[in-house]
Amino acid sequence: MSTALTLWRSVRPGPALGMSVAAVAAALLIGGVLVALMGVSVGEAVAAFADGAWGSPYALAASINRALVLMLVGLGFVLAERASLTNVGGEGQIAVGGIAATAFALWPPVAGLPWGLAFIVPMLGACLAGALWGGVAGVLKVKAGTNEVIATLLLSFIAVWLVYGSVQSEQLLRRPMTTSATLPESLEIPLATQLPLLLGDASVPLHAGLPIGLVFAVVVAVVLGFTVLGLRLRATGLNARAARRAGMAVDRLTVGVLCAAGALGGLAGACMLQGEQYTLKAGFSSGYGFDGLVVGLLARGSVPGVIAGSLLFGFLRSGGINMEMVAQVPTALVVVIQGLIIVILAGAALAIQRMEARR
Amino acid sequence: MIEPELAAVFVGSSIRLAAPLLLAATGELVSERAGVLNMSVEGMMLTGAFAGAVGSWATGSPLIGLALGVLCVLPIAWLQAFLSITLRANQIVTGIGINILVLGATTLGYRALFGSRSRAEIPGLDKWAPPGLADIPLLGEHVFHQTWLLYGAVLLVIVVAWVMRSTSLGLALHAAGTAPQAAANSGLKVTRIRYGAVLFTGFMSALAGCFLSIGDIHTFTEGMTGGAGYLAIAAVIFGNWKLGRTLLACGLFGAATALQFQLPAMGVQVPSALLIMLPYVLALLAVGGLVGRQVAPAALTRPYTGH
Repeated sequence: MSTALTLWRSVRPGPALGMSVAAVAAALLIGGVLVALMGVSVGEAVAAFADGAWGSPYALAASINRALVLMLVGLGFVLAERASLTNVGGEGQIAVGGIAATAFALWPPVAGLPWGLAFIVPMLGACLAGALWGGVAGVLKVKAGTNEVIATLLLSFIAVWLVYGSVQSEQLLRRPMTTSATLPESLEIPLATQLPLLLGDASVPLHAGLPIGLVFAVVVAVVLGFTVLGLRLRATGLNARAARRAGMAVDRLTVGVLCAAGALGGLAGACMLQGEQYTLKAGFSSGYGFDGLVVGLLARGSVPGVIAGSLLFGFLRSGGINMEMVAQVPTALVVVIQGLIIVILAGAALAIQRMEARR
Repeated sequence: MIEPELAAVFVGSSIRLAAPLLLAATGELVSERAGVLNMSVEGMMLTGAFAGAVGSWATGSPLIGLALGVLCVLPIAWLQAFLSITLRANQIVTGIGINILVLGATTLGYRALFGSRSRAEIPGLDKWAPPGLADIPLLGEHVFHQTWLLYGAVLLVIVVAWVMRSTSLGLALHAAGTAPQAAANSGLKVTRIRYGAVLFTGFMSALAGCFLSIGDIHTFTEGMTGGAGYLAIAAVIFGNWKLGRTLLACGLFGAATALQFQLPAMGVQVPSALLIMLPYVLALLAVGGLVGRQVAPAALTRPYTGH
């Protein structure tokens, strides 16, 4: 009973939830006004949006797959945030995860592995690559005092071009028979290394990444809410000097938590590649890392918040794509809505803090 | 042996590519000295590039474009100042939010205005070479024959250097970013100084953005700043919050970018992705302490609560 009570206390909605809902509502409202200004019927746009987001089992599954990617990046953000570290490197972590997953999946021995290892090994490789990418920012922070925001951001730019470079050269991952006319891309990964579909039916493309991702969500929630490690992270975040004096390995925690966040980002990259795209292309991460960052920001440190936010943004993405195709409303509208949400919530942060302090 | 003409072209294009960074980084430096980190410098540049292009396209006058660019960036800079100074919001989060917002808004605006006329040529700023220098063989044509805004930028940077070093305003800026409480106690209006500094960053970023769209390539493309704003911030860190070294960093990033065009012209085969990545790698090495340990203004990113 008391465990249930603690669990509830850790997830119960605070005033931040109301503010988040209000911010999202305001941003959507402004989005609606913009649609009307563009001379598109709002009803038509909303219908196209809903159809693309959840109008069919296929659309619903595609939205959930998108949400999964955002959730993993958001979890990484929240994990690092607990130690007062701002991981804005999701985009780069997805990118290196995608490169590693492709490389492992295309490595001939991997496709022949038994017991489902054929698709797990590339995922592990992606986690490792993401952890390395996050770890670089951690080591720079600890050794040189580099602000992790700048470091993870620069690493993102580097990683995005690494994807481009790795599909540009035939010695690396480029598909050999492409001519200069086609955009460079890798070979399609073998079937055995693709994530198995949960329902075995391509018309509902939910894949094995979903249960894996949910397990990670539970693990992160438990670590943050119920373990000594979670407490240490919080202590480090609140006052690193005091935590160090209390005997905590602050440097190791900093590097470790950024590695873990990076691993989650890398896994997100593997899910995109092995569960949906199957071929590595330049720009394959297409902003999911930054969307995942927004999800993490919105969640204000809560794992259920990450899940809710990632669903919202997964639907926004899917609906936005359909809105562009059917109602000729550019997907950039969705980007505007996301920007508005961040700006409104950032501006309201002080008010939220005061409300939470009064509770 | 490198041909002299190729070398002159390289120097010229390095300077041309460094110019927008130089403008944005100088603006960013002033604001960071006053204690506000504008991650939104990327968004402010993009707004400037877009508004400048629209103004120039609509009126046929690049000068009006430049003015419109500055005019449209000031509200964005004010928003950044209001959020981070008055509402004391996290400066990094607000910056990223504004960048995302601007990326979406300029893309929408571009589609709405230009639509199918995409990549249409837009009237650009005139080129000019200082008399005398223009006549030097090779250098005159390839190095000194530049958009006049570049010379304006150099002038602006000199003025900023003088203000920061030798005036009471420079001292006040420094105080607001180092010891805001002490500054307030001695009668300085910290909040007002910081607002001014952020608006100045907006002004400089607008010029930088206009340099890209109507100064350099005479068109606007979606998300055309492509991370230049973040490079400007990296240049400030590289420069250890000192103007001279910041300029050096901008030059280095400009030269690294120019290599993309230079190496293929020299017949050197390097994957283009590696070259595009180079400035970011250099920036990472720089912020990673390769150039010595940095000392940021003591109150950077800390809101001033006023009591």
